[in-house]
Amino acid sequence: MSNPWIAVGALALVGLAIPLSMIAISSLLRPSVPEQGKRAVYESGEVPTGDTRIRFNIQYYMVALLFVVFDVETVLIFPWALIYSDAVAEFGLGPVLGPMLVFLAILVIGLGWAWRTGAVRWVKSERAEIKTQL
Amino acid sequence: MASALTALQGAPLPDRLVEVLPFGSGPLGTAIAALVGAAIVGSLMMTMTAVAGPWAKRKVTAAFTDRYAVNRLGPFGLVIIVADAVRLLSKELIVPEGVDRPAWDLAPIVLAFSALLGFAVIPMGSGIHLADPEVGLVYVFAIASIASLGLVMAGYASNNKFSMLGGLRAVAQNLAYEIPLILIAVSVVLFAGSLQMSEIVAAQAEPLVTVAGFSVPTWYAFVNPFAFVLFVIANLMEVGRNPFDIPEAPTELVAGYQTEYSSVYFVLIYLGEFLHIFLGGAVIATLFLGGPAGPGPASIGIVWFIAKIWAVYLFTQWARSALPRLRIDQLIEIGWKGMLVLALANLVLTAVIVGVIA
Repeated sequence: MSNPWIAVGALALVGLAIPLSMIAISSLLRPSVPEQGKRAVYESGEVPTGDTRIRFNIQYYMVALLFVVFDVETVLIFPWALIYSDAVAEFGLGPVLGPMLVFLAILVIGLGWAWRTGAVRWVKSERAEIKTQL
Repeated sequence: MASALTALQGAPLPDRLVEVLPFGSGPLGTAIAALVGAAIVGSLMMTMTAVAGPWAKRKVTAAFTDRYAVNRLGPFGLVIIVADAVRLLSKELIVPEGVDRPAWDLAPIVLAFSALLGFAVIPMGSGIHLADPEVGLVYVFAIASIASLGLVMAGYASNNKFSMLGGLRAVAQNLAYEIPLILIAVSVVLFAGSLQMSEIVAAQAEPLVTVAGFSVPTWYAFVNPFAFVLFVIANLMEVGRNPFDIPEAPTELVAGYQTEYSSVYFVLIYLGEFLHIFLGGAVIATLFLGGPAGPGPASIGIVWFIAKIWAVYLFTQWARSALPRLRIDQLIEIGWKGMLVLALANLVLTAVIVGVIA
C-alpha cells in the first residue's frame, strides 16, 4: 500500500492542469476587440457611481466570532467521536459521555446568550427597525 | 471489516495501476500510476459535469416547467454539450476596469480546483478509489471549504457592487451552514468509529433487518434518517443551490460574485459549482447511502455510485424548480437558531443511543 497522499498530490496536479489547459485553449480561440465602454463594470446599464471598495457594514462580525468558537469545538469533537464506541466498551457510558455533555452545555449556554443579545440576528435599517417596533 | 473491504473494492486505484503499467514500482512508476489514476477520476467527473451543465440541467428544468428545452442537435439534443463548450470558450474575455488582478484571475481556478480535489478520497466502487487516507472525511470538508475563499476572491476582486454583495453573502452563508454540516458528519463517525472513507462504507455493509427475504443494509440513511435529512439540507446550503442560492440570487444581485466573469472564467466558475454539487452528492452517498453498495456483483459498484450522485443532483434541481429563495436574514436565523441546535441535538441523541447499544 503506497502513501495515499501521493495520489492526492497527483489529483491536485490534474486539478490545476484542467483549468489551465482550458484557459490556454480559450486564449487561442477567442477574439479581442477592445472598445471604449466595454470594460465598464456592470451596474444595470447605468454609468457606475463611485468605488466599490468603501466602508461597509458586513452585518455578521459577531456571527464570525461565534463561528470560530464552534469551529474549534468541532475539531475537539472529532477525536472524541472516533474512539467513542471503544471507550464506552472499556470505561462505561458515564465517564465517556459526561464530560462531552458538559462541554457542549457550556457552548449551548454561549449560543443562548448570543441568541438573546441578538448577535445572530441580521441588523435591519433604522427605518425597518422603527417599523417593527411600532 | 478491513478484509470484507478488500474483497469488495480491492486496493486503491494507483496501487493496482502499478501492477498493470510497465513502469515498475519505483518512485517513477508510483508517480505515473498516481497521475494516471488521477486523470481517470478527473475525466470521469469532468464528463459528468459536461453532461449535467449544458444538457441535463436544461432538460430537468424544462420538464418541471412543461417545456422541451434543447432537442435540435443530435439525439435528445446531446450534441449541445459540444456546441456550448466551443461557444463559451471562444467568447471574448472582457477584463473590467479596476479589477484586482491576479486575485480576479485566480478565483475561477481556485473554485474548479477545490471541487475536483475533494474527489481524491471518495470510494466510487469498481476499484475507482484514488486515495484512502485515515483522515478522509476531515480532508473532504477541509478541501470543500477552500471554495469559499474562491467566492470571496471573485466577489472582492471584481470591483462590482453586485459581486461584492454576493461574496459577502457567500461568507455569511458558509459561516451559518458549516458547523451543522460537520456536526452531523460527526454523528456518522460515532456509528462508524473511523474517519477513513473505505471503513465508513464497509461499516454500512452489514444487514440491518430482513423484510420478506429482502435484506436492508445498515446504510446510515436508514439507521438515522433524522441526520440524513439534516445533512441533505446542510449540503444544499454548502453548494449554494436553491432555496439557498443567496450569493447568486439572480433577481437581486444579477449573478452575484460571477457578474463580471465572461468566456473561459465563466466556464470555470460554472464547472466549479457543478463539481461542488457532485462532491456534495458523493459525500452524501458515502456517509449515508452505502457508497457504491447495491444489488448485483461488487464490480458494478460505480454504476450504483453514479446513480446515487445523480439522485442527489436531481434533488437539487427539483429544489431549484419547486422552492422560493430565502432572504439572507432568514438564512442566518435558520443556520444559527435551527440547524445548529438540531445538529447538536442529533449529536447528543446519537451518542446516547450508540453508547447504550455498545
